[in-house]
Amino acid sequence: MATTITKVDKLVGKRIRRKEDPRLITGTATYVEDITRPDMQHAVIVRSPHGAARIKGIDISKAAALPGVTAVFIGKDITGVGSVVCAADLPGLRRPVHHILAQSRVYLVGHPVAVVVACNRYIAADAADLVEVDYEVTQAVTDPEKALAPGAPAVHPEWPDNKAFVYHQTGGDIDKAFADADVIVRQRIVSQRLVPNAMETRGVVAEWLQAERSLTMYTSTQIPHLARTILAGQLGIDENRFRLVAPEVGGGFGSKLNVYAEEALMGFITMKTGKPVKWIESRRENFLCTIHGRGHVDYFEIAAKKDGAILGLRLKLIQDLGAFHQLLTPAIPTLSVLMMPGLYNFRNIDADVIGVFTNCVPTDAYRGAGRPEATHGIERMVDMLAAELKMDPAVIRFKNFVQPDQFPFPTATGLNYDSGDYGATLQKAMDLIGYDDLRKQQAEARAAGRLMGIGISTYGELCAFGPSPATPAGGWESATVKIEPTGKVTVLTGTSPHGQGQETSFAQIAADELGVPMDDIIVLHGDTSIVQYGIGTFGSRNTAVGGPALYYALQDLKEKIRKFGRMLLEADDVVFENGVCTDPKTGKEVSIQTIAGAAYRALKLPPDTDPGLVATKFWEPSNFAFPFGAHIVVSEVDRDTGEIAIKRYMAVDDIGNQLNPLLVDGQLHGGAAQGLGQALWEHGIYDDNGQLVTGEFMDYVMPRARMMPWIESSHTVTPSPVNPLGVKGVGEAGTIGSTPAMVNSVVDALSPLGIRHVDMPLTPEKVWKIVNGATA
Amino acid sequence: MKIAGNATLPFPPERAYDLMQDPAVIAKAIPGCEKLEKTGDNEYSLKMKMVLASLSGAFDGKVRLTEPDRPNSFRMVVEGSGKIGFMKGDGLLKLTPNDAGTEVSYEGEAQIGGTMAAVGNRMIDMTARMLIKRFFDKLAAEK
Amino acid sequence: MIANEFEYTAPASLDEALALIAGGAKPLAGGMSLIPMMKLRLAAPEHLVDLARLKELNYIREEDGEIHIGAASTHYDVESSPLLLGKCPLMAETAAYIGDIQVRNMGTLGGSVAHADPAADYPAALQALDANIVLRSSTGIRTLPASEFFIDTFTTAIEPGEIVAEVIVPVELGLTGTSYQKFLQPASGFAIVGIAARVHQQGGAIDMIRIGVTGLSGSSYRAANVEAVLNGKQPTDETIRAAAALVGQGIDASADLHASAEYRKHLATVYTVKAIQAALARSA
Repeated sequence: MATTITKVDKLVGKRIRRKEDPRLITGTATYVEDITRPDMQHAVIVRSPHGAARIKGIDISKAAALPGVTAVFIGKDITGVGSVVCAADLPGLRRPVHHILAQSRVYLVGHPVAVVVACNRYIAADAADLVEVDYEVTQAVTDPEKALAPGAPAVHPEWPDNKAFVYHQTGGDIDKAFADADVIVRQRIVSQRLVPNAMETRGVVAEWLQAERSLTMYTSTQIPHLARTILAGQLGIDENRFRLVAPEVGGGFGSKLNVYAEEALMGFITMKTGKPVKWIESRRENFLCTIHGRGHVDYFEIAAKKDGAILGLRLKLIQDLGAFHQLLTPAIPTLSVLMMPGLYNFRNIDADVIGVFTNCVPTDAYRGAGRPEATHGIERMVDMLAAELKMDPAVIRFKNFVQPDQFPFPTATGLNYDSGDYGATLQKAMDLIGYDDLRKQQAEARAAGRLMGIGISTYGELCAFGPSPATPAGGWESATVKIEPTGKVTVLTGTSPHGQGQETSFAQIAADELGVPMDDIIVLHGDTSIVQYGIGTFGSRNTAVGGPALYYALQDLKEKIRKFGRMLLEADDVVFENGVCTDPKTGKEVSIQTIAGAAYRALKLPPDTDPGLVATKFWEPSNFAFPFGAHIVVSEVDRDTGEIAIKRYMAVDDIGNQLNPLLVDGQLHGGAAQGLGQALWEHGIYDDNGQLVTGEFMDYVMPRARMMPWIESSHTVTPSPVNPLGVKGVGEAGTIGSTPAMVNSVVDALSPLGIRHVDMPLTPEKVWKIVNGATA
Repeated sequence: MKIAGNATLPFPPERAYDLMQDPAVIAKAIPGCEKLEKTGDNEYSLKMKMVLASLSGAFDGKVRLTEPDRPNSFRMVVEGSGKIGFMKGDGLLKLTPNDAGTEVSYEGEAQIGGTMAAVGNRMIDMTARMLIKRFFDKLAAEK
Repeated sequence: MIANEFEYTAPASLDEALALIAGGAKPLAGGMSLIPMMKLRLAAPEHLVDLARLKELNYIREEDGEIHIGAASTHYDVESSPLLLGKCPLMAETAAYIGDIQVRNMGTLGGSVAHADPAADYPAALQALDANIVLRSSTGIRTLPASEFFIDTFTTAIEPGEIVAEVIVPVELGLTGTSYQKFLQPASGFAIVGIAARVHQQGGAIDMIRIGVTGLSGSSYRAANVEAVLNGKQPTDETIRAAAALVGQGIDASADLHASAEYRKHLATVYTVKAIQAALARSA
């Protein structure tokens, strides 16, 4: 049978529109809210309005009596369910028991106290209003430094000092570094609490079938397999009888890299009532009850010689943990310590981390997870050092960068930077934006009384999590590639993309390797019954860890394809390219589609070869990946209003090889938006009573398209030596690089007024007060 | 949220002070107050209904009058909670004589929580001001 | 986020609507303020009467030197109306600042006016325009100037059983320049301050000036003290700044986490200058 052989262009490296988009744009994707099951109940959770209180009593009688209500559960009804899991471990870590429903006390506004289950969401809402809870309000504390002060209210009565842990890490000889220093600059720097605000809130549909002892759970998560293992443990059921599905997930940014009380709670409800149950988080619940990001009060001290050579860095990091530990809460600040030296080659560091309990929702991983805070810190300190020494901030950076011939570079914090040319990237950014010319313009602007600023950040990033010993649950990733009898290809990735675009980029990889059109390839993920165990999506790891797993599975398949090719062509050797095996001696060909048919029909098999055309690979990375970049922001401050105008935004990022530059742009733009959000707009503010003051979009300032600058973007490419694709990871890089560039720019604009630091967010009133106060 | 402001009452400070310590007068002046009952020394239980635009809700709470310094100043704490949330106002009131009678200046903290807080931070200041204004307007009508 | 149960009626005529409202039903227009409150269960009206599609409330027409705008006109209707753009551009310009496209497609002039949010945009324009508000009930009709209609925070002169039926604005005299300038609260888009300015010049001097202010305090107002300084004068940068500095005088300015009272008053001054200068540029 003749087949048309077509030469397929290489797709990796091309800007290709996403396969995901048609269903997303036409509203035909299936999110948790779209899932219905026969006789499905609806759950509404009653939550504490107080930041700290004793529960004196709960009266559910009126709620339970409402027609249409199936059940009402409170804390004492929850038996046989383990508490919420924290997978992080630190020496001496104090672990409060985190029940899935409050027992005798509530520890934060939003703490779940009761759950109403009814036949529809309307009756559930009405019944929730009828639950009466008698609280004895106690004093809350929400500021981590206030929580550490003597006499502060105890968040957990058993630990009145409100300390969850202290962690110390040191490298080199910090005392000598500070003794040798000509200049020491000290600064308190706050990386404020942020609310992740994924477009889709959380939600769960859970269905228990008693006869099978099987649980099916749909949940908006980034880690379907890990969540299944953890929840199976919490619920006391067999992992292999538990199907967990992440359907379409509308963004996570780390806030869904977690296992929440509500997931176990829905499992409990369906097992107890014997009916499927759905819970969909409202936006207000999302603000109050889904993890927040950042929450640092950092005290930095940098020591240097008067020629600008940095000798060492001290950090006292006060981490606002919230009231409980979610999955990785205590581990996040340790990532800040790892990245505290940034791109610089100084060898002396000393870090003291204090994890503090507060009556707030827990902090945990949020786009960058500890690295934005560290990068903001070192980049601000380097700028302040430059100002102190009257050096140009670019010059001091060039002087201190790790040099190209120093890779792999062992950092003072125990990492091994894989590859890079930091100076080249900064130089490129400066050339593209016309740095020298900008400084001239700035001098003219200043002479005319205008507040123009130029801010640089050179950031390093630690991502592509990662070598398994350095992770809490394994850091490898998996892929299965199945070629069906008709030659169509199915990729099963253990990653769990929720916007990152692997249905497209992984199809590009498979298309290139197998020589089949992209349209013949589908990429499945997120369903534990379909996809082999995977670690999931976070830490910018999909491409750098999931990609090589796929690549190696494809190589195994290609090996088998060549075996069948040799057999079918009766050749000693074949070349497999563009979807076709060719005998170089005779020029005879056989297509991958024919080979696939033969592999399953198995009329004849090559020696030592099984039928079928499926390969699975579990791939362990030998190191993290280390993208880096230089962002430069030109801004101007309006003296009259304090408003900041972003005049230019230049990003030069090195994320290694790029599979799909369109996806890379999307990640960098989105990352920059979230990084600018931290610098200028966003702040999750709790008052002293535990109320989240910025608890809705009326007050929490989300970046909007109209607020964003035009991002000029370029790249350098330093392939990663850690994986065969040479990719590093890009998901979080933009967030990490943008924040300090923006703040450095505004501080530079205000420096003629004697300003050396401002804390985020740089709201108009805050800036106006500075300008007003300084010139008054 | 810090609140501060002032109001003028058309009587001398002594009368203004006594009026503001009189539960019968306070019960009429607190906007939406339906019941005010003595529960202790200078402490009263409060039932009120608040209406602001389309928002309306019933509150149970208490009023406490402390730090008496007749006729110069005193502290008033009003708190209430209901289905739509809870609120607390804690203010020091200072009375000084002026041509029109008495200038009352107040300074303190206003907080809200619960569902009411979901409409936005600006509601705290707005609601507090409006309630305080209505309180003093009603007081001023006491002749 | 589920409202309490309620009845809903879409009446065929205004008379039918007014009869239901006289009986205690609550009017619903665009729902942009009411529905969020209902979903939070902060408002729980038992019966909603939908006014949005009533022909008797949906029109924009000119009569005897005035423009009559039906209360159910959406902000988009006001923003895009050729009649308003040509003859009362301040209304169209102000409407364009409200919320976002989705809000402007649904929200109505009458609903916004009746709601009297202290940070709404229209009141500044309506104060500056000396607009008239027409109120109807099942028993009658009356008209009030904006200055008497807006009383306090979310408080208007509307009596039980009445709805805002129409807003009447003037046709601007030929060379009147107008402008609405707004400092947006960056999260909600409401006005931290919003200044509407109308100005007419004759022989190089201002012979008519109106300044409407919203957002600064509990209620909108006309800044008569600013107007008094500039009326009859030649508008120089100096006199404009001196006049604008009075815009918050004697006003109890609001405060929230986005703007303190002090900053808000300062912005009012800055934006009054902006509004006057923009209006002047259009009045030449």
